[in-house]
Amino acid sequence: MDLDTLQLRWHPIASIRDLVPRHVFHAQILGRELAVWRADDGNINAWENRCLHRGVRLSIGVNDGHELVCQYHGWRYANRTAGCTYIPAHPADAPARSICNITYPAVKHRGFVWSGEQPQGSPPELPELAGESLTLRPIPVNAPFALLIDYLQRDAQCLPLKTQQQIQAIQKNDLAISYTVNDQCFLVCLLQPVDSNRTVLRGSVPEAILKGNQTELLHHFNHAFNRIRNAAEKQAARQGPLPAFVAPIKPVAEHLASMPVKGDDNRRAALRVTVQSIETIASDIKAITLMPVEQPIPTFHPGAHIDLHLPNGLIRQYSLTNSPGQTDRLVLAVKRDPASSGGSSHIHEHLKVGDLLATSEPRNNFPLRRDALKTKLIAGGIGITPLINMAQALAHLKQQFELHYFVQNASQIAFKSILDELGHQSTLHINLDVEQTEAQLIALFSNYEPATHNYVCGPAPMLDAARRIAKQQQWPDMALHIEYFKNTRPRDLEQAFEVSLARSGLTLQVPAGKTLLSVLRENGVPVPSSCEQGACGTCKVAVLAGQPQHQDVFLSDTEHAQGDCLMSCVSRSLSPSLTLDI
Amino acid sequence: MITLYDYELSGNCYKIRLLLSILSVSYKTHVVEFYPAAEHKQDWFLQINPLGSLPVLADDDFVLTDSAAILVYLASEYDKTQRWYPRQNHRQLASIAQWLAFAEALTGSASAARLAEGFFYDIDLESAQQRAHQLLRILDEHLWFAEHNQQRWIVPGEHPTIADIACFPYIMLSEEGGISRQDYPAIRRWCDNVKRIPGFIVMPGLFPAGPAPEVAATT
Repeated sequence: MDLDTLQLRWHPIASIRDLVPRHVFHAQILGRELAVWRADDGNINAWENRCLHRGVRLSIGVNDGHELVCQYHGWRYANRTAGCTYIPAHPADAPARSICNITYPAVKHRGFVWSGEQPQGSPPELPELAGESLTLRPIPVNAPFALLIDYLQRDAQCLPLKTQQQIQAIQKNDLAISYTVNDQCFLVCLLQPVDSNRTVLRGSVPEAILKGNQTELLHHFNHAFNRIRNAAEKQAARQGPLPAFVAPIKPVAEHLASMPVKGDDNRRAALRVTVQSIETIASDIKAITLMPVEQPIPTFHPGAHIDLHLPNGLIRQYSLTNSPGQTDRLVLAVKRDPASSGGSSHIHEHLKVGDLLATSEPRNNFPLRRDALKTKLIAGGIGITPLINMAQALAHLKQQFELHYFVQNASQIAFKSILDELGHQSTLHINLDVEQTEAQLIALFSNYEPATHNYVCGPAPMLDAARRIAKQQQWPDMALHIEYFKNTRPRDLEQAFEVSLARSGLTLQVPAGKTLLSVLRENGVPVPSSCEQGACGTCKVAVLAGQPQHQDVFLSDTEHAQGDCLMSCVSRSLSPSLTLDI
Repeated sequence: MITLYDYELSGNCYKIRLLLSILSVSYKTHVVEFYPAAEHKQDWFLQINPLGSLPVLADDDFVLTDSAAILVYLASEYDKTQRWYPRQNHRQLASIAQWLAFAEALTGSASAARLAEGFFYDIDLESAQQRAHQLLRILDEHLWFAEHNQQRWIVPGEHPTIADIACFPYIMLSEEGGISRQDYPAIRRWCDNVKRIPGFIVMPGLFPAGPAPEVAATT
């Protein structure tokens, strides 16, 4: 059987019991090495055994229950998606989505984990092994699978049985054989082609013939398999090795590696999701769980948000409140805004379980540094949403942090059970007036020490106060991370200016009344965007020359003063012309 | 005061450092440059250990050579719980002796392959690798059936023993001698168990494991 055919089949790569918690199993099929690990949520990952950074085997990495960490430079990859979640050398940045390891299917069936290069359909049914079959100890053999299957076929009598009856070997296919006595199956052997010259001999005993001491049975077949191995290895050594299977490592998929389509506004709804549950978790706050319909959810990080496209045509941004490692769904918490223009009120009044919605891919504009000596997470009201996920991530990493949650009254406290789990690391501040809140903020921004980082999310007046207090307390801008829900500051649209695009070679006029972003799009220059009001940071563009007129709330004062980037949705120009790096 | 004549890259020296760390025993080291200076073959060292081998342990005026002997002494003298070398349990004690001899065979094969690959020793690499694989097959089978009996350590019992410490280093360093552990999944799981023993330390070429699942469940 040739390699192409074998690549279309399912192969056993491990016994299910091999995948113990917090371990990385080292598997191989058809020459390709796999790092196989079970996350704490039970999901089994089978990945290319290679860190995307320096090619070090991930099978020597650390399974922390939610992420797999490379031993070499600590790159972390997410359960399920295999997307890179964190690069220690770039602690302030969210890794690009295209940094995603190659994944292979992993299916549990009949006591084994099955995988393959491009397996078709489902793993073989093997009805003999239905029920509680007994998986035998696998035996790696230094012999080609074809030699081994011949051996198993010819020498059925080599399986020592306490019977005088004739054993019949029934070959099921090139890689599986079942043994019967009087039409009763007592053993199924499966061959895992590790590479062209190595095979794992796997076996399972049907439930029907299991009685008495299973340990004795395991020893019995282990002994038989060892004898088969010794004989097959001798024969293989006489014959000499076959040419190796080549398992090329696929490059990153085209759609991930290439630039976006020209003119694409990137505000497209890339994902289809259904509403799996809606739960009231506090007064006027509902938790919405969205499950993907077709493709899996791309990798996201603590602090990420999505654009939710509502049936009424509105687009709204919501932070993801997923627990660490919960990578198979999107979980949002939405507060009903009394002044809602149709976003939160629609969700609260009309959304129901089973509804089909569209969302953008998750965006990571509020990344969490994992190299801080101390982190303070400061939430005002529904501003808890990006921070609750960060708090859980830091707790899992056993890093020092405090969560401060300001609410107007006790009925508005969301995520109570998570706050309980965080214990003394979380502090509630209930019903404080403006002065009391500012006093607390002054305390939180006092006595800056290196490698301390404060993250703040909440209503605009609180964030403005935090920014002002941080400045007064000489808290460095680089240690202050703020996420606004929206930009409530007045914005000027009157100033007309010219932009030169250094990469595209275009010079464009931005007239009064139009945004830079819309002018760029009309001229076929793609810029991703999300909130389109200067709050989220998605449409950031680098400035090469000229003095931008910032009108956003995303950048810090230091970044505003540096003037080397702008938000194309709201920024304009103080100089007659700007040169942009696009 | 304990003095350890020590070379950082030696697996046999690491066995001693590992047990001393686990037992929280303080000691000082006297570095002996094994490679390239070959200090262990110099006169001053041969006066201490005529065998010219590392490690050597001196507990005040009591001098011991041979890593297995040193492990026996340290566990007997400094482990008040008597779990690392359970003197009252004769079967466990004899099993430990059996696996200490097995560890010695690993030194003669897996470590020899590493000396050939990493330290340019004139050793028949292929035959050393073959012997190491034969031993690893035996240990993997032993540990697989131990797992089946809900056992985590080489010698059956609730607690690890010096047999685990003695076998661990040259197994973990085997890849430096071109010996893959891919075919030994039960050994790979046992290595994680050893790495999670409180007080575990690493040496060059050997990585720590992630947090144990039990710990994770309580956070």
